[in-house]
Amino acid sequence: MSQTDSLSAVDFEVSATAGDARTGTLSIGETEIRTPNLFPVLNFYGGGTKNSVYGGGIHRTVKEFMISADRVGAGDYSEFFDGVLTSVSSLTDYNVTRERYEDYIAAPIKERDVFSPFSGTLFIDSGGFKFLNNDGIDGSNFQVNIDQKTAYEIQRRMGADIIVNLDRPIAPDDSHEQRIEKARKTGENIEEFLRLSSDFDGARFLTLHGYNYSMMDAFLTEITKYCSAETLCSSFDGIALGSLVPKKDDRSALIDAVIDCRRVLSDWGFDDLPLHVLGISSRAIPLLTALGVDSFDSSTYLQTAINGGYFVSLMETVNVSEADFEQCNCPVCSSDLLRGWMEDKENAPYQKDRLGAVAMHNLIVQKREMAKIRDCISRSETEPLIQYIESTVAQDKPTREFAHRVVNHSLGGYSL
Amino acid sequence: MKKHPKVNEVNEFLEIASDFEDPLEVIRESLSNAYDANASDVEIEIKSREMGSDIIIDDDGDGMDERDLESFFDLGNSRKTDSIGYKGHGTKIFYKSDRIVVSTATDDTHLRAKMEQPWEKLNRRELPEYEVSERPDSKDHTGTRIRIRNFRSGEGFDPEKLTYNKIEHYLKWKTIAGSTAYMFDEEDREMDITVRLGDEIDDSQPKLETTNRFEFPDPQEKPDEESEFPAERMCKHYDPTEIEIEHDGGTSTLQIVGMVGGKAARNELPTYGKHSAQFGVWLAKDHIKVERLNEAISHDNEFLHFFFIVNCQDIELSANRETIRNKSSSVFQKLKEEVEYHMSKVAQDPWFKKYLELRREAEIKRRARKRRSSLKQRRERVESEEKSEPTNRTEVLLELERSNGTATMTVEDFEPDADVHAIVRQSGKLRNAAVHYSLTDHFENELTFEEVDLVICWEYGDPVKLREYERKGYLGETVEVDLDENGLYYGDDNSYVEILPLSEQIESTTKQAVADD
Repeated sequence: MSQTDSLSAVDFEVSATAGDARTGTLSIGETEIRTPNLFPVLNFYGGGTKNSVYGGGIHRTVKEFMISADRVGAGDYSEFFDGVLTSVSSLTDYNVTRERYEDYIAAPIKERDVFSPFSGTLFIDSGGFKFLNNDGIDGSNFQVNIDQKTAYEIQRRMGADIIVNLDRPIAPDDSHEQRIEKARKTGENIEEFLRLSSDFDGARFLTLHGYNYSMMDAFLTEITKYCSAETLCSSFDGIALGSLVPKKDDRSALIDAVIDCRRVLSDWGFDDLPLHVLGISSRAIPLLTALGVDSFDSSTYLQTAINGGYFVSLMETVNVSEADFEQCNCPVCSSDLLRGWMEDKENAPYQKDRLGAVAMHNLIVQKREMAKIRDCISRSETEPLIQYIESTVAQDKPTREFAHRVVNHSLGGYSL
Repeated sequence: MKKHPKVNEVNEFLEIASDFEDPLEVIRESLSNAYDANASDVEIEIKSREMGSDIIIDDDGDGMDERDLESFFDLGNSRKTDSIGYKGHGTKIFYKSDRIVVSTATDDTHLRAKMEQPWEKLNRRELPEYEVSERPDSKDHTGTRIRIRNFRSGEGFDPEKLTYNKIEHYLKWKTIAGSTAYMFDEEDREMDITVRLGDEIDDSQPKLETTNRFEFPDPQEKPDEESEFPAERMCKHYDPTEIEIEHDGGTSTLQIVGMVGGKAARNELPTYGKHSAQFGVWLAKDHIKVERLNEAISHDNEFLHFFFIVNCQDIELSANRETIRNKSSSVFQKLKEEVEYHMSKVAQDPWFKKYLELRREAEIKRRARKRRSSLKQRRERVESEEKSEPTNRTEVLLELERSNGTATMTVEDFEPDADVHAIVRQSGKLRNAAVHYSLTDHFENELTFEEVDLVICWEYGDPVKLREYERKGYLGETVEVDLDENGLYYGDDNSYVEILPLSEQIESTTKQAVADD
């Protein structure tokens, strides 16, 4: 991929395809991540200091897994943190003081000693979604107005490998005028973002919003009033499809959006760029991957754990009190220490540790499924991926019809 | 002391034979027997007689030796193990008659067996006997001829009700004549089937000829672009598929084959009665359809577009083969899940989606055509100046607008479901109006006159009803309608509500216009 404005070597190489699905490698500077892949959402800064791995409750425990901390058994979990997504907006989620906030953005994450074992691809979202109803982030005794300049400054200072422009996500009830107005503001931001980040040495992803072809096309038409299609194409290294969170439980709408997104990207000449879908729950991943999505981010592993949910598979969740740890060979379930935490909360130092261990297990389940999906695609024929979908998503009655639809649309269909 | 439980033979024979009521079931059993005997040709003749039906079944199968004849007449003593009639119940249907004569030839033997008055004897609690004799070498080939005299149909199954059309449908839906085995097994034998009905039953054709193979209508995956209903003849065949299922009792094989088709395509099959009773997903054993499993097709798809046959040799049937007995078994549950899964793929087939879409579009266009024709009628009515009366509140208000002419009153707000339906402006002032076809509707809807300044209606309605309200009071208040003043007084304080009966107003305007001319 040519990088006219960006200085770094960003490369997205597709090594195999199966129908519309593709597998490859996204290399950004020193980092490399295989696609399709899932970026777990994680808050690096959660109100604490260096001594508490910068805190954040259950996030802290997950970070300790990430850095192989002694407290969680010092196991090597790095393969599950080959990519992580965090958001600008998470910086003040814990009601921090200005002093602490300043400290958080004072050094790149990977350059801090405590996080040095982490070497994965760091994706920092601009947090546009959180700023839908207000323009800033709030600390205990201060407020930072977030504009494109500030958002980029924070992304840069935190040491991101992938950044997106500050966007204005649309909502399902928006009128056409409201959507165009948001696209216009996003367009202004993009112009500024490209100017500010011209010497950024990571990958820049363009946010795209819309639920169908016409909406996305209208969005691109509006933003190209600020920045030509050629410039967009040569300056951005990837596309981040947003605004789908309100539709995350509507499989049909998600599939429509992704199918249309790929068509729009093809018609606008962006189809060689990696496509990331922002904030989608993990169960949709196999289907969206089959449609050609290259990466996802999700906090499902963590949110499910907070509610006591333990993944038996990508499709099945049980309460952790009913889980059979013997059936799982992941490093968390294989560790006496961690199994003890999950079995009985009395064993765990804190409740967050019990749930943190469950979250880590859940993430491993997801990441292993991603690896299986990559393996299916890398065989360069559709049958393995069809079989994967048939044995997972299609076994679940409510999602069955969507599984068939995707197989028919993107994988050549069934022989009936 | 050990004791052997006893069987009352006569009662057993009676019981089994009584399960069969329909002469069509005789045909079904005969065809199965002929097929099991490797026949390539079978002819069935049915004549209606005063006391029942005379039935002759003639096949060119392997014939029966003495031992086979025993199992033909015995109960539960079938020699067959892997064939259709392994229970030894089927032929007992023939006992409901006055005489059974079986003439049969194998390569080695030529036998004749005769049983007289089996039904009468059974009903006398007597076990009928049969006599077997060697017969001269009358036939030069193997085969069996069964002659039944006066077969007794059950009530409502008179042979006169049979028609070739009904028989063909029955053959294809309920017997081996509707087999889809050949789609899975290249070795499957073809058998020619001829049915002759006496002229007293159906004289519309001399005979019915078919085979033991069910054939789908020719496929036509593309729509008829020229047709008003382009999807109607569309038809897609789905290839025969064999699926292994694991269950608690071991492994079973499902053989699934089917088609999806529009009404015209389905009508090319021998249908009898409603498609809704015939199409869908059929479960079959020995490739003979038994019961439907239409719940295998999700609710958002109408099952009658589908015609699928799922054969499984591990389903168990009731004695009369009409229902499946082992529905609570693990094999049946697994079968159900697997069939549901298979059908979910068919329902998501892009061809099927397109077919549904074409149907929907054709239906919308049909409705539009219908609307156009009704629009034409409406325009003709307008042109003819033939006035139609309003039928609802909106139309009453439209009449008001039309009758206003000089626009003394305008409707500013209208909520048809509110208690006070409209707010009108008259001489610059806003007035609350109830709107009805007739004034009596206001009373019948039990609406009060609180907050109502004006009732706009087409007519007053039944004056007798109004008088009754005046006489008895309304909602505990007095009420008085003044037709001359076009008003209504109610309650202790004699509140006044104006009535605007549009039909009268229009009439007076018209009269005036005529007078002015």
